[in-house]
Amino acid sequence: MVKIYSISVLLAPPSSACTVLSNASDLSQFSFYQKGSVAEFMSFFARTVAERTPQGQRQSVQENNYTAHVYNRGGAESLAAVIITDQEYPVRPAFSLLTKILDEFTAKVPQSSFGNPSSISFPEIQVYVTKYQDPTQADTIMRVQQELDETKIVLHKTIESVLERGEKLENLVDRSNALSAQSKMFYKTAKKQNDCCVVM
Amino acid sequence: MPVQDRTNEFMSCVDSIISRSSIPSKRDAKQRLLQNGKSNTKSEFSRMASGIGKEINSTNIKLGKLSQLAKRKTLFDDRPVEISELTFIIKQDLASLNKQIATLQAYIKQRKASGSKSEDGKQVDEHNKNVVTLLQSKLADTSMAFQEVLEVRTQNMKESKDRTEQFMYTASTAASQPSTNSVLFNSRGDPMGDGSPSRYDSKRSKNGDMLALNLEAAEEGSGSQNGGAFMQMQMIEQQDSYIQSRSTAIESIESTIAELGQIFMQLANMVAEQGETVQRIDADSHDIAANVSGAQRELLKYYASISSNRWLMLKIFGVLIVCFLVFILVS
Repeated sequence: MVKIYSISVLLAPPSSACTVLSNASDLSQFSFYQKGSVAEFMSFFARTVAERTPQGQRQSVQENNYTAHVYNRGGAESLAAVIITDQEYPVRPAFSLLTKILDEFTAKVPQSSFGNPSSISFPEIQVYVTKYQDPTQADTIMRVQQELDETKIVLHKTIESVLERGEKLENLVDRSNALSAQSKMFYKTAKKQNDCCVVM
Repeated sequence: MPVQDRTNEFMSCVDSIISRSSIPSKRDAKQRLLQNGKSNTKSEFSRMASGIGKEINSTNIKLGKLSQLAKRKTLFDDRPVEISELTFIIKQDLASLNKQIATLQAYIKQRKASGSKSEDGKQVDEHNKNVVTLLQSKLADTSMAFQEVLEVRTQNMKESKDRTEQFMYTASTAASQPSTNSVLFNSRGDPMGDGSPSRYDSKRSKNGDMLALNLEAAEEGSGSQNGGAFMQMQMIEQQDSYIQSRSTAIESIESTIAELGQIFMQLANMVAEQGETVQRIDADSHDIAANVSGAQRELLKYYASISSNRWLMLKIFGVLIVCFLVFILVS
């Protein structure tokens, strides 16, 4: 089942070590005692993967049943974003999510506070974690595709009902034809009654 | 067509009109005053206008040369430097012409604002305005022709690039293709902008670089260059996979929408057919109503005739009983 475990934004200068600038995670399915170690593992994973990705590149790394998608945007601020999900999370929306997060981050957080990670407040990252747990709703392209598929199903049903309507209309036509013939006979017989037995 | 000076004709017309009609001498004096006063300013205006016209002429000639150069479709004899220079010069000329026409217009407005005599002044203003409009339309034609020439040029360059690709296709052409496409699109959208000559230069230099690389690779067969090109190709492939997956997703959306369109058309067809069926049913039901009402009328008539016929029936039966009685009495 598709799930995001954590999203992090890192400062990834090309040669030296990475530092985590902002992090948000959803570890609700781990037991209370496991959460600490899992969180540590996630940050270590994110940092390692971001260090090993060259600038301007996207990569996906798999480890047991965790998959990390990393996008090292480089640029002037040498930022990178990592998202750690389970294996079923679709790849493309993950990368578009990373791009979106990086754009918002560069828009909101000034570059001067990159040296002081604890002072950075970027609460939207947690919003993203919760929102994108269901990628089909959050990612635009997937949502459009889903709505189109639903519309197609509705249209198929509509066409079936229109076919049934066609059958019933055929039925009605035949019956009205028969009724018309019968009423014609009725009229002729009634007319004949008047003409046939003229009694003086 | 430069502005012609037809003052002499005008003078002769005025003289002939004066000689034809009897106009008081005050008008003569007024007219002569006007002519004297106007001669300086009019000649200044006409000087400016004729200057602009001559420049437009020369720009048109340059444009003709540029279009000739651009039309050449040879593969190797291209003269990019000349073409870019000429393009730049023509662009500058067009900009300066624009400014000159703008100053001319301002000059006219200023003249109008500083007050002119009522009737003749108005005519002069109108004439000036017409001349300026004429110059502006000529400038517009020239710039349209310039734009067309630039488009022809980009088309020819694209064709020549395709032809070189056919002969010498390497990874470097694939690698540099997206960038040249974007440059092409940019320059196509903005041929009169300030950036176009530099963009053309860069594109043409890229073309030159590509050709040079291809020739070198073909001659030497060096591995490192091709290796470098392959590395670049790989990186771009990795970048491309995300982009490609996006494009495939969007294409699938597009095809879904097309399918939906088809389904709607089918639906419309079916409903139209069924509409026809409904019309038949409607006609039939009208017939039924008419028939049934007619039959009811007949029955009513029959009933009326039956009920009114009793008296006649009684008389007939009475006659029959009398005959019957007579028959029995006789036998």
